[in-house]
Amino acid sequence: MLVLTRQVNEIIMIGDNIEITVVAVKGDKVKIGIKAPTSIGVYRKEVYDAIREENIRAAAAPKESMLDALLKLKVPIKKDDKKKKKDSDAKV
Amino acid sequence: MKINTTRFQLIEVDDKDVYAFPEGLLGFDQEKQFVILNNPKGGPFMWLQSCATPSLAFIVADPMGFRPDYNVQIKEDEVKAIGLANPESAFVMVILTVLGDTINDITANLMGPLVFNPDKMLAKQLVLTGTDYGTKHPVFSETSQNPV
Repeated sequence: MLVLTRQVNEIIMIGDNIEITVVAVKGDKVKIGIKAPTSIGVYRKEVYDAIREENIRAAAAPKESMLDALLKLKVPIKKDDKKKKKDSDAKV
Repeated sequence: MKINTTRFQLIEVDDKDVYAFPEGLLGFDQEKQFVILNNPKGGPFMWLQSCATPSLAFIVADPMGFRPDYNVQIKEDEVKAIGLANPESAFVMVILTVLGDTINDITANLMGPLVFNPDKMLAKQLVLTGTDYGTKHPVFSETSQNPV
């Protein structure tokens, strides 16, 4: 890993269009500013990891019995015409 | 477009029904194209099938069915990323994790919702910060399981 020493307000460039600025340092906390193209996701690693891990868990093939159980999940009620029809059908 | 899938065998979908995920999903950044398929037995959930990987299909659902107060704030750069001209036209789905043996094991990832722009067929997984939403929200809470 590349390790650079920077002072407050100094900037690190990554490639041509990502800028990392050290905004403030207070005790063991560092405030960092990040300028990056919108196409590049910028996340706290723990949040990124949590979602990534859950995606991987969710990608596992489910048991058919569990899918049948899931059919009991409530369908949201919407103003959508198709759904409305379904709801009124259910009442009849 | 013909899509080879493990669950649904070879299916044919209209090219205009394919959603592009320019960034993929977190952990699946090479997966850029998905289609939303209805569950063959019907029901409140759907499948988000990868166009590239036959075995990759996520179970997705409208979060309003089990979390009516769920609220997703789409940030400006995310609006741009999926070319959203009118926020009203977007819709949100969440990925369900269907593991384990009882319905109480079924959870929804409310922290990483998927937002779709059907006008441009662009979609993106959001990363919500500053909310209480977690990645393992039980789908069958006591209230949704036993509606009064």
